[in-house]
Amino acid sequence: MLLLDIRNLTIELETNHGLVRAVDRVNLNLREGEIRGLVGESGSGKSLIAKAIVNVLNQRWRITADRFHWFGQDLLQLSFDQQRKIIGRDIAMIYQEPSKCLDPTALIAEQLQESIPNDVIKGSWWGRESRKKKKAIALLHKVGIKDHVAVLSSYPYQLSEGVCQKVMIAMAIAKNPKLLIADEPTTALESSTQAQLFRLITSLNQLKGMSVLLISNELDSIARYTHNLSVLYCGQLVESGKTSQVLAQPYHPYTDALIKSVPEFQPDLPAKSMLYALPGSIPTLQHLPVGCRLGPRCPNARKECVHTPSLQSKQQHFYSCHFPLQRKGS
Amino acid sequence: MSCLLEVTALCKTYRKQHGLFRQETIKALENISFQLHAGKTLAIVGETGSGKSTLAKVLVGIEQPDQGEIRLAGKVVTMTNYRKYNHVIRYLFQDAERALNPSQKIGDMLTDVLRFSTVLDNLQRQQKVLESLQQVGLMDEHIDFYPHMFSAGQQQRIALARALILDPKLLILDEALTVLDPTLRAQIVNLLLELQQQKGLAYLLISKNLRLVRHISDHCIVMQHGQVVESGPTEQLLTQPQHAHTRKLMGMS
Repeated sequence: MLLLDIRNLTIELETNHGLVRAVDRVNLNLREGEIRGLVGESGSGKSLIAKAIVNVLNQRWRITADRFHWFGQDLLQLSFDQQRKIIGRDIAMIYQEPSKCLDPTALIAEQLQESIPNDVIKGSWWGRESRKKKKAIALLHKVGIKDHVAVLSSYPYQLSEGVCQKVMIAMAIAKNPKLLIADEPTTALESSTQAQLFRLITSLNQLKGMSVLLISNELDSIARYTHNLSVLYCGQLVESGKTSQVLAQPYHPYTDALIKSVPEFQPDLPAKSMLYALPGSIPTLQHLPVGCRLGPRCPNARKECVHTPSLQSKQQHFYSCHFPLQRKGS
Repeated sequence: MSCLLEVTALCKTYRKQHGLFRQETIKALENISFQLHAGKTLAIVGETGSGKSTLAKVLVGIEQPDQGEIRLAGKVVTMTNYRKYNHVIRYLFQDAERALNPSQKIGDMLTDVLRFSTVLDNLQRQQKVLESLQQVGLMDEHIDFYPHMFSAGQQQRIALARALILDPKLLILDEALTVLDPTLRAQIVNLLLELQQQKGLAYLLISKNLRLVRHISDHCIVMQHGQVVESGPTEQLLTQPQHAHTRKLMGMS
């Protein structure tokens, strides 16, 4: 059963210079119990998509989609209150920069207890507070914080970024969500904590069947933990499919460049040799190229690339490129 | 091969006041020693709070060391000859966007650096500015641009130009590559490697990204609580880590 089924999601921003299309017809599917990675560089619209799913974008953004289904129910057709009810019940999100997303004026204990919904706590109204306290402690243990007394009685600024991130995860899983959206959960953390966090997320996925949408700008850090992968460039979906398939044979030049620019995926590359890099830089939203947005930087761009390529598929491996890369010998 | 930078028994403590009489001393650096040769890259790896950034600050002269000796090309460095010193060691900040003055044109910013620490005249300065912009792959007309008109990758290039304009021998990269997007980072890494080959620049790379460390560094130091727990050639250290902390950083344990 498809948990989330998004077809041709377009997110536009009204500016003085007219409409800017930040996300251009992106498809995204999520099955139950799946971990999907969403990879793209800054400004590629990954955070926008995440925010559109939980509907926290402000009024200036215009969201349209052919299909925006959550469990077969079109979210865009519902009224705001109904949307909030469903999203609040089923979807949780971990934002970037956890220490800034926590309330600086409230204790961790208060914030964590507030995030536990009443229907998770069984029993009558009497004694609910103490049960909530117990639940909060249990949640902290679950995310790997042993010293719950100190953490619960401190303010966010007193904690390190890693602990804040774990608290955010504890708050997110408090309501047993069906989908967890993790927006660059590990950018501010060092590598040992990163590994810990990913292990935590994978174990939650396996034990509870929670689906995860893992957003990152580094392909290498999340490739190991995801089943499926979607690669975005400048708001366009360039490639999606099984992680192993995409990594083994990228069809789109951008995915190829992304893989080649990481030394880890090139074990036979000698140290201190040049890395593969696309020329130029990511265009800004005001000056997006027409057609395929990779066009000006693409090594094998041709005349046809001024038209946006449609999404093509080869054995559940989707790519949008007029001239897909061919593996040697195949 | 000559030894460019030699650090012996460097110590740095911070004092933290608790009330009127009680004081707590925090040892940020304890007995740090290492050598760096010209044209090589030394990587410093460690968790946050392990003293990596303090070490960089001490080296570049933002902080004074309590004990120990920094020798630059054989001469002991004291902070009194700071002007001479900052020709040789330059610092590249983590966030280029915040390290550049938003109200100053690129050309003016680079000229200021020269005016402050060289004796070049106006024309020579102009020439030098253009030269350093070309070196990092920017164009002459960019001197009239403000920082916000550039993309993140270009801003990092400008910061690099500002660091390179004094022809330094050593460049300290304090997490300068971590925040960049992968394809931009590949570009900057290529640029840095090229400069190293051409000019024999030495780098001190402070990074959390072990994959990057493996690719560009020759030697590697692992720090924990202000102490060096392990050091050695990068390839050897990362394939056969001896210390438990190194293994933890690599996510192996």
